[in-house]
Amino acid sequence: MFFYYLDLAWRSIKKTPFLSLLMILAISIGIGITITILNIYKMASVNPAGERSAQLFSVQLMSQDNDTWDMINEQITYQDAFNLSQSDVPVRQAAMFRTGLAVQTEDVNFSPILEGVRVTTGDFFALFDVPFIYGTPWNKQVDAEGGYKVVINESINQKAFGGGNSVGKTLMLNRKPYQVVGVIAEWNPSPKYYDVNNGAFNDSEQIYVPFSMAPIEEFSSWGNNNSWRHEDIRNYQDRINSEMHWLQYWVELDTPAKQQEYQEWLGRYVEQQQQIGRFKHPDARGEIKDVAQWLNVNKVVPEDNKVLVGLSALFLIVCLVNMLGLLLAKFLKRAPEVGVRRAIGASRLQIFSQHLVEVGLIGFCGGALGLLWAWINLYFLSSKFELEASLAQLDQSMWVIAPVIAVSAAIIAGIYPAWRICSTNPSVYLKSQ
Amino acid sequence: MFQIKPILSMLMRNKSGPLLLLIQIILSVAIVANASFIITERVGLMARESGIAESEVFDLTIYNFDDAIVANEQNLIDVEIIRNLDGVKAATSTSMTPLSGGGWSSNFSHGSSEEDRKDTPSSAIYYGDEKMISTLGIQLIEGRNFYPDEVSSGGPELATLAIVSADFAKDTFGDESAVGQVMYRGNIGDQPMKIIGVVERLQGAWVDHDNLNRSVILNVELASSFTRFLVRADESAIADLKEAIPAALHKEHPNRVVRGFKTISEHRNNVYRNHELMATVLSMMVVLLLLITSLGLAGMVMFNIERRTKQIGTRRALGAKKRDIISFFLVENYLLCLTGGLLGGLIAVLLGQQLMSLYSLPKLELVYPIATVAGLLVLTTIAVILPAQKAAKISPAIATRSV
Repeated sequence: MFFYYLDLAWRSIKKTPFLSLLMILAISIGIGITITILNIYKMASVNPAGERSAQLFSVQLMSQDNDTWDMINEQITYQDAFNLSQSDVPVRQAAMFRTGLAVQTEDVNFSPILEGVRVTTGDFFALFDVPFIYGTPWNKQVDAEGGYKVVINESINQKAFGGGNSVGKTLMLNRKPYQVVGVIAEWNPSPKYYDVNNGAFNDSEQIYVPFSMAPIEEFSSWGNNNSWRHEDIRNYQDRINSEMHWLQYWVELDTPAKQQEYQEWLGRYVEQQQQIGRFKHPDARGEIKDVAQWLNVNKVVPEDNKVLVGLSALFLIVCLVNMLGLLLAKFLKRAPEVGVRRAIGASRLQIFSQHLVEVGLIGFCGGALGLLWAWINLYFLSSKFELEASLAQLDQSMWVIAPVIAVSAAIIAGIYPAWRICSTNPSVYLKSQ
Repeated sequence: MFQIKPILSMLMRNKSGPLLLLIQIILSVAIVANASFIITERVGLMARESGIAESEVFDLTIYNFDDAIVANEQNLIDVEIIRNLDGVKAATSTSMTPLSGGGWSSNFSHGSSEEDRKDTPSSAIYYGDEKMISTLGIQLIEGRNFYPDEVSSGGPELATLAIVSADFAKDTFGDESAVGQVMYRGNIGDQPMKIIGVVERLQGAWVDHDNLNRSVILNVELASSFTRFLVRADESAIADLKEAIPAALHKEHPNRVVRGFKTISEHRNNVYRNHELMATVLSMMVVLLLLITSLGLAGMVMFNIERRTKQIGTRRALGAKKRDIISFFLVENYLLCLTGGLLGGLIAVLLGQQLMSLYSLPKLELVYPIATVAGLLVLTTIAVILPAQKAAKISPAIATRSV
């Protein structure tokens, strides 16, 4: 029966090509715009931490005085990072920041390159599930006492050493020799949630050095440095002792009990700091946010995208109303024919389903065309605005979402006209024959 | 005279068609009004002048990773090397690049004592030398530039003189002249900096911040292993300089990395990218929406004409002119459009309020729904008049034959 209806629908579409084309066009444009915007939105709001999202927490401290900023900062000070690392509640924890170092090898013909570098503790890799190809992170002793150790990724390994197992080789960073202890696979979470401060869709660093080397090598900070008070910072020691917020801090808390325990620990820490004269804000506190909350707070999905999603939904509704009007016109025009079919024995249900199949077919064509529109739109937008590659690809899920939205929307729009047509009294039309 | 009564009764007799059209018009007005408002707002933001010779100025950074290099001495050598290259008009070291989205911002304090101390509004802070004004291509409108011997090399704490943008001067000192005023870093008395000049216009780095037009230039060349330079050159020479500058710098000292080479125009495109993206997507939506609405309307009118063929023929037979038939369809359309426009305008304002409270969007101005309705009237007139002319051509004889 379905295929018979499909055949009828196809004939009906051929009989009124202009009106049918208009309908397909209307729904495809609506779907095209909606899918384009939904795609950008979805790609920007994806949570790259996956299952671990609820176990990884960013730590924030309201450490400033009165009469400064009112919001809790995304980053923390060096002294707080040092103190937090004393807690044994988290399973793993890592303080970190981004810097840049000149990379050379022992090969004199290798011309120096400047690379973004992440300065962090050895826990970073297990905390964020970074996959190693060769070697391991540096050990706890390096985290405690410092040591010229480095973890590099595949592409630096290729550039500097021509690939292969480079564990044990030496990489020069700012003219100091660092021993390679591990090589990681390409790892590039998007959004780059562990540090959203310089563009949430920028690439991850390719080189990782121990946090304990920061005071020794005085790595500069390539990120926001926020001060709530004027301090004379003339050297690295001043920076370390200052109230400047410039570090990111993440902890892994695998159970709700641990999370509760860590919250309490943070509360005690704030009180203890208050006793020695810090944290004077009446709202002084420590907060932890899991990855999902963190992305939300940092507005990783820009407000513009949300406005667009809303407007595109309204746009789709307009297209559907438009289609509804045209369908009504088209079906009612066919009333005499339906009258005859009813008179010779077609049931209402049959007439109804026949028309719905026709509407579904139009919706499906519209959805397919809409997908093409969306693809063209994304191609145009990404070439014109250099969108990050991850935002500009048509997500696989859209291949399902687009036809589903198109067909279901078309059927919703078609229910009323189909009901109108099947509920008319056949005698009215038979009389005028 | 406009046959409003028969039109109304006809619309009432067959409600669903006109009702759908009405809904479509209402939604279109609401969307188009808000979308065009956001578009105009973004285009307005992007049109703000920076005051800078944008296509002639580019930035670069030099990273000296050799410990043997003494930063402030090296900066003086480097800037001389750059200035002596062919095609370079002017160059200066700087703390930041205009319109780049990142840099230095701060506020200072001013006043005669700690009691009547006031803070200046936040502004961009450029550290540079006497060539900064000519490098950026900005206009000094009051006071004077730094003299070469007034510029020091080292940390921010060495600043003693300031040149400010007119917007900074106005927001800080009102109608009083800014030249001769003194600002402090921190408390009153801490590191006094005297304002010696005012430039007509100079933008900072953050286009979405209200401090965009407030800028201060301080008389220090920042010395560190990272130095940023601004270079102004003939547009035609910029491509060659991208090769020539690193070559000349590496010849002088090999242990460094030279990067950047983006013109201010390129920075501008980058920093306004999201606004342009929003404006483009919304423009696409507006155009398509108007297209769909008018096509839908034209389709409906065509359908109506077929359905009303007999009625039109009868009216023609009874003496109605072609003009009357066309005006019948037009008036019908205007009735729908105006009702839809009125309701749509109302919903547009409500939607605008919703957007304003949820997101950082300004309040919708009433002129947008009004203009949208006006535009819709014009557009639908075209969409209706073409099929209506076809209707008017219906010969009464044929139309009434089967009655």
